[in-house]
Amino acid sequence: MTENMADVLAQADPGSPVERRSLWTRFSSKSPVVLALLALVLGFLIGALVIIFSTNTVLDAWRGIFSSWGAPGHALKVTFDNVGAAYRAMFTGSVFDPSQFWHSIATGKQWDNTLTPLSETLTYATPLIIASIAVGIAFQTGIFNIGANGQAIMGGIAGASIGSMINMPAIVHIPLTLAAGIVGGMVAGSIPGFLKAYTGAHEVIVTLMLNYVIAFFLVFVLLSTPFQLPGQSNDISRTMHSSAQLAPLFGAASGLRVSYGIFIAAAVVYFAWWFLERSSLGFDFRITGNNPNAARASGINARRVIVVVFLISGGLAGLAGVVQVSSTTHYVDGNFLIGSAGIGFTAITVALLGRNRPMGIVWGSLLFAALGVGGRNMQAATGIPLDLATIIQSVVVLFVATPVLVKEIFRLRSSSAQGIQLATKGWGS
Amino acid sequence: MTDLATPTPSAAPKVIPVGRTRVIGYITAGLGLFVLLAFGLGSSGNAHSVLTFTPVNTSTNAPWSIGALTVLTRYWNMAAGLIAIAIGVHMIVRRPAKGAMVRFGVAAILFLFALLLWAGRDPGPSQGLHVNLTSILIGSSALAMVLIYGALSGIMCERAGVVNIAIEGQFIGGAFFGSVIASTTNNFLLATLAGAVAGALLGLVLAFLSLRYLSDQIIVGVVLVTMMSSLSSYLNLQVLSPYPNLNTGNLASNIAIPLLYKIPIIGPVFFNQSGFFYFMIVLVSLISFGLFKTRWGLRVRAVGEHPKAAESVGINVIRTRYINVVLGVAIAGVGGVAFMASQGAFQVGYTSGLGYVALAALIFGRWRPSGAVSAGVLFGISAYLALNLQTYNIPISTEILGMFPYLITIAVVAGLVGRVRPPAADGQPYKRD
Repeated sequence: MTENMADVLAQADPGSPVERRSLWTRFSSKSPVVLALLALVLGFLIGALVIIFSTNTVLDAWRGIFSSWGAPGHALKVTFDNVGAAYRAMFTGSVFDPSQFWHSIATGKQWDNTLTPLSETLTYATPLIIASIAVGIAFQTGIFNIGANGQAIMGGIAGASIGSMINMPAIVHIPLTLAAGIVGGMVAGSIPGFLKAYTGAHEVIVTLMLNYVIAFFLVFVLLSTPFQLPGQSNDISRTMHSSAQLAPLFGAASGLRVSYGIFIAAAVVYFAWWFLERSSLGFDFRITGNNPNAARASGINARRVIVVVFLISGGLAGLAGVVQVSSTTHYVDGNFLIGSAGIGFTAITVALLGRNRPMGIVWGSLLFAALGVGGRNMQAATGIPLDLATIIQSVVVLFVATPVLVKEIFRLRSSSAQGIQLATKGWGS
Repeated sequence: MTDLATPTPSAAPKVIPVGRTRVIGYITAGLGLFVLLAFGLGSSGNAHSVLTFTPVNTSTNAPWSIGALTVLTRYWNMAAGLIAIAIGVHMIVRRPAKGAMVRFGVAAILFLFALLLWAGRDPGPSQGLHVNLTSILIGSSALAMVLIYGALSGIMCERAGVVNIAIEGQFIGGAFFGSVIASTTNNFLLATLAGAVAGALLGLVLAFLSLRYLSDQIIVGVVLVTMMSSLSSYLNLQVLSPYPNLNTGNLASNIAIPLLYKIPIIGPVFFNQSGFFYFMIVLVSLISFGLFKTRWGLRVRAVGEHPKAAESVGINVIRTRYINVVLGVAIAGVGGVAFMASQGAFQVGYTSGLGYVALAALIFGRWRPSGAVSAGVLFGISAYLALNLQTYNIPISTEILGMFPYLITIAVVAGLVGRVRPPAADGQPYKRD
């Protein structure tokens, strides 16, 4: 809404002298894509600083900067070598490795190795897209669902139990497993929804606390007899039957993990677009998010909106969890979506990066999935911890949330300085 | 509250069910009934529990001590349950206008007490285990202290109208840098300073982004927590693991206050603590006095309630908010150091959501330092018991016990709190016209 208003206002005075700047400036001061790219640049710069200040060889090179004439150049070279190696490993691990590519061209073999990075990125992005849509729909309604991770865990638990305990043909089993995941997420999502609607409890605290509760619940369930892998004392579940698994897109022989789940993600993206742009309930949601007072005045039932949005958001997050299980590991263990694997937390940053719009979320998911997958490769190749990827992601989102700052840093005109507008203002609502 | 506090027109009417006191009453009575049936009648008539009062690692060397007290589990727990039921029924019938939370707090303490007696009963699963009240209180006080630091930080920020949801991240930052400095210098004063500086810098980021660039404060807060947890994990792998002497985890030593520390029970809990505990008490009284009795406090509250009105009488809203956020977050940084100094070497993720519990304590305490203290004590005791009840062989699994502090937080936020009224301009960006 605010976006459209800004556009209308900008078109209203096309002849004003301020508007007559270079094409680049005009383009950049409006486009959220450019803003996101600039934020990404800043994220990588700050990531480089983190690498520099935590790598001994680089620091030593800079410490000896006055020892000889060649030292400053040497220090710069060491810096670029280290940072470059890290970011190169990130790129080759997530997108495309040129040397492997040329090898495949020359020999005509090992195409699967060339495609593995992209396949991994897509595999990681598939549940991330779904989870981010879940967070984004809530955001558009002015609701901050930080509990997507817990809801995804619940979805994963429910899906893995249906997938491993029942035997039936795949045509029924897969939909049933996915439905179980959705229901699991809905159950977890309904708690903050009802509490917010009927007691006014702030959803941020409730969902955050539920994340911890669900993390304990996960271990509790995994250690309970019906769920635990027989003969195991560790917290690990039974493996899903093959009839409940989302098969690899190019067959199991290819070694590429990208699965049919991407079609589910695509369907979710379409659903989100249709829901928010075309359905009347989605319209109510967006009105509530943009202007709660106007929503109330036009007779929208705020409590119903809150409960329904949490059911949808939780259900989608649960779907993300079950897609994650049934397309990759096929079982759930105590580390499922815990710590750096927590796609529900990444989903928050992705939703912000994509400005809560379905297509923006798709691009944001691909980007952050590439960062995560590449970060793993970077850790293996250079020893720099995977956490760097998360640091870069959070820096990017901080900058995306403060567009004016980015524009000031890059000396761009800041007219339509619209940040991410949310209705999560304070504790009162 | 200030008289300036006319609610802003945009503040949405809150969904507050009528008769919440009654709801709390029902919950209190239910708690009492549970105590009566499960812990009272659930333990056999001849069962007895032993309460001891001398701390386990007794460095206090008290000249006189209290011997063990043997009680009949069944009748003490039945009494506790009946008292809780009486409190609940009184609230349902008479609906007292004030003090619902205090009554609930009393019932909750009774519940925990009965739970302990039941867990340690003698013909029972964990025979011979004494319930050491003083040790429990000492252990809880460490957690309560950290929670109070966090809640005070929130009070400083939110009274000036800036939501600080990133207390967790500030704890992490304080604990990390505090641990590094404490390990290298073995000086907790320097470590505290380091934690405060780390906090102040984080506060500056929060203030800068939310005051100058009007970013959404909750988003900035959440992202700051993510950033701090990944940064600490990164630095832990890159710096602390190769150099273990940077993270030795020396604990702050206790400072016994002469004479007073020899008082049984109270002495070891209140007068034989680390410097962080005393500093916390000083901070609570300073902030409490400052906020409600000084001109500075009036100004801060005016800024948090109605910034436009404050600006019109010549208060610099933005500057007040900057100062409060930086100071407040520095307090959270000190809280992180205090946590490190009582728990040991820095580990990734060992604050385990305590910062969010502190946030709930802030709401529970209604944005008042005194309320933060009582909320911190209640949460501290329940969190400590949840972590330490495993020593008793009670038929509840570790995981379920681990959920307790978080479930209690949810319950508190969800409605036990009654009518909470945050500062009217809390979280709303302010732009000078």
